[in-house]
Amino acid sequence: MARFLMLLIPLIVTAGPYRYNCVACHQRRNLSLEALFFDYLLKYSSERRVKAALYSFIKHPTKKKAVASEDVIKREGLMPQTTLNDTDLRKAINTYWEKYKVFGKIR
Amino acid sequence: MSASNATATNISRSEKRTLFRFLGLYTFLVVLILGLGSTIYYNLQKDLMLQTKRLELEEFSKELIDGLKLLHIYFDRYRTYPRNPLYRSAIYDADKVLIFSTLKDPKGVRLDKVIYTTPKHQIQYIHVLDSYYLGAKYVVVEIDEDRAWFYTAWRNILLGGGALLALFLVAGILLARLLVAPMKEAMSLLDRFIKDTTHELNTPVGAILSNIELIRPERLDSSTAKKIRRIEIAARTISNIYKDLTYLTLHHQIASDNQDVDMSALVHERIEYFRILAESKRITFQTDIAPRITLHIDASKAARLIDNLLSNAVKYNRRNGTIRVMLKEGELRVADTGIGMDETAAKEAFKRYKRFDTAVGGFGIGLNIVAMIAKEYGLRVEIVSQKGKGTEVIVQWRVS
Ligand code: HEC
Repeated sequence: MARFLMLLIPLIVTAGPYRYNCVACHQRRNLSLEALFFDYLLKYSSERRVKAALYSFIKHPTKKKAVASEDVIKREGLMPQTTLNDTDLRKAINTYWEKYKVFGKIR
Repeated sequence: MSASNATATNISRSEKRTLFRFLGLYTFLVVLILGLGSTIYYNLQKDLMLQTKRLELEEFSKELIDGLKLLHIYFDRYRTYPRNPLYRSAIYDADKVLIFSTLKDPKGVRLDKVIYTTPKHQIQYIHVLDSYYLGAKYVVVEIDEDRAWFYTAWRNILLGGGALLALFLVAGILLARLLVAPMKEAMSLLDRFIKDTTHELNTPVGAILSNIELIRPERLDSSTAKKIRRIEIAARTISNIYKDLTYLTLHHQIASDNQDVDMSALVHERIEYFRILAESKRITFQTDIAPRITLHIDASKAARLIDNLLSNAVKYNRRNGTIRVMLKEGELRVADTGIGMDETAAKEAFKRYKRFDTAVGGFGIGLNIVAMIAKEYGLRVEIVSQKGKGTEVIVQWRVS
């Protein structure tokens, strides 16, 4: 157990809330964050609008706001309201954006 | 009488001025209308060209969007932007931030438009997406502009506009002539009337003056003598006006008889002639006239010159004023103690029909005649005047 924790601590410290919160849960449920990111991009286009939409959804997930398909929501249920505080949530969203954004990646 | 004399020249000059003014205004309006028409035509041609190009560009943008869609779906594996040598393109997000571009100059893009030409002669077409593949809301497709339409449009504008302008101008000139014809007639009528009347004035004025000279004042009682004197003053004034009018209407037709005129004697003579007029306003003469001063000039014109200077000096003087007349080699000065003028009035003084003071009678053509004669003989005329103090006219000539 102690060894497991030793392994976990640097992971938490370096990657921040995105890794230990979002990725942790999504990986467990086999929900691709990348695919969801591109769904958001498809719907909201710009950085400002994507981030605002993400924040709004993760703060108060509703069916109406969700971009995921009905099947997914039926199978997994709606994403539970976040346990992160505001600063951590913003940090997570920023990390999420930086990881998948298309700027500078197109050749 | 022929139409080539003084007043007729003036008429045709003022007529020409009116004509030119009218033509100027007319040309301005014609150019304005043609300019407006040309602008409309130019923009129409441009729109036409853009409309034909638009179909092509729409096809390109569809192709590009298909490429973007694939790229969006397979972005985890494949990241090459869809390119085509036929066009260049760019994508912008909903906040108009550039995502990717193969444009030559992505800065000048106007996302609020649909299709337009850039200053660098490219056509850019903007398509707004419904699904924002890769976050792209705006797709810009750019091709090089084929400038052929531009040159044809300009050639047509220049040729057509030039032809229309010429047509309008010819019509304008005809119109102007039509407008000026009645004015010309009225002017020549007036001209003829003035000349005829002037001619008719000679005999009666001469008769009055010569008859007054025959009257012996000592045989009359003082009251009648006074009245006769007044009649003489009036007759001399009319005679002066008559001579001025004759000069103005006929001087082009009469050849100058230039000779060495004894100015000293002439000035004395003219002062004597005006003394009776001056006395009526209790104006006294102060003279400083050097003897044997000569000037090569037509004697009657010299008399007109001096008469007009003296006449003005009387006319614009105050009661009990003085007139100082000075003649020396190369210079004649006539100064009054009258109302004077300010600077602008002095400049205007040579203009015909301009009076020093509207309160004082007279035709105001005196200084104009002085100027005409001075010009003919190369004399320098200077007016020194102070409002309220008086006016001095200095006539100078070169002494050989
Ligand atoms: C407790 C588990 C859990 C955590 C923690 C979690 N998610 Fe989710 N998330 C889900 C589930 C389940 C869904 C699918 C249902 C849905 O779409 O609402 C989902 C859906 C999403 C979606 C799609 C939303 C939509 O509009 O349908 C996004 C985007 C997302 N998560 C991002 C995040 C981010 C970013 C974080 C970290 C701040 C995060 N998630 C943390 C469980 C989680």
